[in-house]
Amino acid sequence: MVGLTACSGGGASAGAGDTIAIGAVHPLSGGLAGVGGMMNDGAALAVEDINEAGGIEALDGAQLELRDGDSQGSAQTGQSEAQRLISEGAVALVGTYQSDVTENVASAAERADVPMVIDVAVDDKIMEQGYENIFRIQPNASSMGQAGAETLAAMGETAGVDVEKVAYLHIEGAFGTSVSEAFTEEAEAQGIEVVSTVSYPATNFSDATTQVKQALSADPDVVVVTGYYPDNVLVAEAVQALNPDILGVFGIASGAFDDSSFPADAGAAATNVLSANYHYAATSERSQDIRERFEEKYGRPMETAAMLSYQAVEVIAAGLEESGSADPEALRDAIANTSIEDPLLAFDGPIEFDETGENKNATVIVMQSQDGEIEQVFPEEFATAELIFPARDQ
Amino acid sequence: MNRGVRVTQTSTETKEAPAAPPRLLDNRQLRIAAGLVVVVGAAVALMYLFGGQPSGLLTQSLITGVLLGGVYALVSLGLTLIFGVLGIVNFAQGAMLTMSMYIVFFLATEWGLNLYLAAALTVPVMFGFGWLVQSTVLNRVMGDSTHERPLLVTLGLSLLIINVLLMVFGGRPVSVASPVEGSINVIGALVDVPRLIAFGGALAVAVALTLILRKTTLGLAIRAVAANDVGASLVGVNVKRIYAMTFGVGATCVAVAGGLMVSFTSLVPSAGEQFTTLAFVIVVLGGLGSIPGALVGGLFIGLVQTVGSLYLPGSGSLLLVFGIFLLVLFLRPQGLFGAKS
Repeated sequence: MVGLTACSGGGASAGAGDTIAIGAVHPLSGGLAGVGGMMNDGAALAVEDINEAGGIEALDGAQLELRDGDSQGSAQTGQSEAQRLISEGAVALVGTYQSDVTENVASAAERADVPMVIDVAVDDKIMEQGYENIFRIQPNASSMGQAGAETLAAMGETAGVDVEKVAYLHIEGAFGTSVSEAFTEEAEAQGIEVVSTVSYPATNFSDATTQVKQALSADPDVVVVTGYYPDNVLVAEAVQALNPDILGVFGIASGAFDDSSFPADAGAAATNVLSANYHYAATSERSQDIRERFEEKYGRPMETAAMLSYQAVEVIAAGLEESGSADPEALRDAIANTSIEDPLLAFDGPIEFDETGENKNATVIVMQSQDGEIEQVFPEEFATAELIFPARDQ
Repeated sequence: MNRGVRVTQTSTETKEAPAAPPRLLDNRQLRIAAGLVVVVGAAVALMYLFGGQPSGLLTQSLITGVLLGGVYALVSLGLTLIFGVLGIVNFAQGAMLTMSMYIVFFLATEWGLNLYLAAALTVPVMFGFGWLVQSTVLNRVMGDSTHERPLLVTLGLSLLIINVLLMVFGGRPVSVASPVEGSINVIGALVDVPRLIAFGGALAVAVALTLILRKTTLGLAIRAVAANDVGASLVGVNVKRIYAMTFGVGATCVAVAGGLMVSFTSLVPSAGEQFTTLAFVIVVLGGLGSIPGALVGGLFIGLVQTVGSLYLPGSGSLLLVFGIFLLVLFLRPQGLFGAKS
């Protein structure tokens, strides 16, 4: 906060420059409105911070302006909102949380030659279209599955515990399937056997006991879970109720296990649940400061998704600084060559994009729900608390 | 106008009601119920013998299925009444369920009430809400032949409820802890206590509704209106008032459902929506307006979905549910407990 206000003295004199519009497409209404609204707030806070710090210096202190688009959770609506924002003069887009919506928005951005920075959307397929204007900060599904298996093996080694057999429980559809397939492939290379894979439906799912018992019937050491919020809470509760003799529950790209609502929502079932996911860097002072101010301003905790929206706006701002131009094509080239040190997420290094537009250094870290809080526990360099593994009383 | 409600013996029963004490199920319904028990029992026995699944897993899935069926039945009971008597396709059923869960959440967290006390207080609130919706809005759009206008109104109502909840409570998941957490062990399978209570609630609501319909003057009036609203008004029944009461009673069922389900639900404004479609399936499967039909239908669908998931992963079990639904409609278009029109 201090650093930013200190710079803002110069902002007033530079404010004469033009405003540059950035379009944000998120589900602001419908079932995902909670997270969509939070992400929009994250992007808005980034714009505010950048403007307060003097806007885009390379463009005479030009101010940024965030224009909202509401995808309503639907791919068609998201696409028409993206087209509207572009025609209203947005030089870049951020979005969109859902993979199917992102696919449509990305195709609209590509056709209009407007760069888009994906904040959250996991599906590998989005970037496999050969798009030139689309960039993604977070790791994709298959790299999360792969990193999840590597991390699980490394974690077992560090803790001195043998993880030999795992059962995989995932949500039906492209997301769950691609993460679990990538996990299974890498797990075999690491000497971990996936003894059972159980998928559950994405709709009309209100009790996970049968599926969890099915997964447990192969007698695994660890239950690995991939899915969204409500279903993963059900899975954790079912594991708690069945009380199996396992080392722990390990989420990969789980929508629940590292969410700050999870410990209170799942109660005892949340105890020591592990989650490998991309995550805001709780050890970074800059991200701590942003989270504090976010909570003060919007009255709710800033989850990782909103931090990614914040980061996406920073990527665009860095592109504008480097290109010194609000022309979308020059901006695209600048983003493609940018390198953002000190990312707000717990990544392997600076944010840099490869030729397909994926962030080269995107990776996952392990969180654990301990005493009602989500702590970062692995690897050591990002740890805010000590890893508890085995995570269950044996 | 007959709206397809189960009123087979209405004519005889209204004449002879004082003489013969009405039973909860008549002979025909008992035969259907017994037939279903035999079919399900045989299917279960076959699965234990030749199903190729560990018996512990099968037992667990049966018990989970019955408990899930209890939840489905709870949601469907109010719907079958509204659908059967008023002929209104109530798309707001899921949203009203969410609404009552949020009322329970509010009472439990803001006022610090016990969950089940909060649920009990929600019942009169939702009755008032249902009564108000029917008497001020729906009664005005109920024409002689069209179902579309009330249907569109309830669709609008559901959007309104969901978005008001979103505005007031935000979209982040919230939860209410149950005072009776934990689970008990029944023949090697786990029974979650809050779900068991919800199951008991479904049975209690079904019995209470049946008693109201069979034994009270209000119930008599509701059945009369359902059978023939013009005739009922000719003999002095205030049809619009009965409509409002019926919608209120339907909303009450939803309030009970919400109160009993909230402790095992991650509460977001769209939480109740997933039950709407299945509730319609259950109501049509059981027979429009049939209370035992909704109960048996709910249990049946819960069982099929849960046990089916052992054999068909993912949404395969839902395919099975809809497949059986179509089969039943093919064999008995009026539903399991429905009256032949």
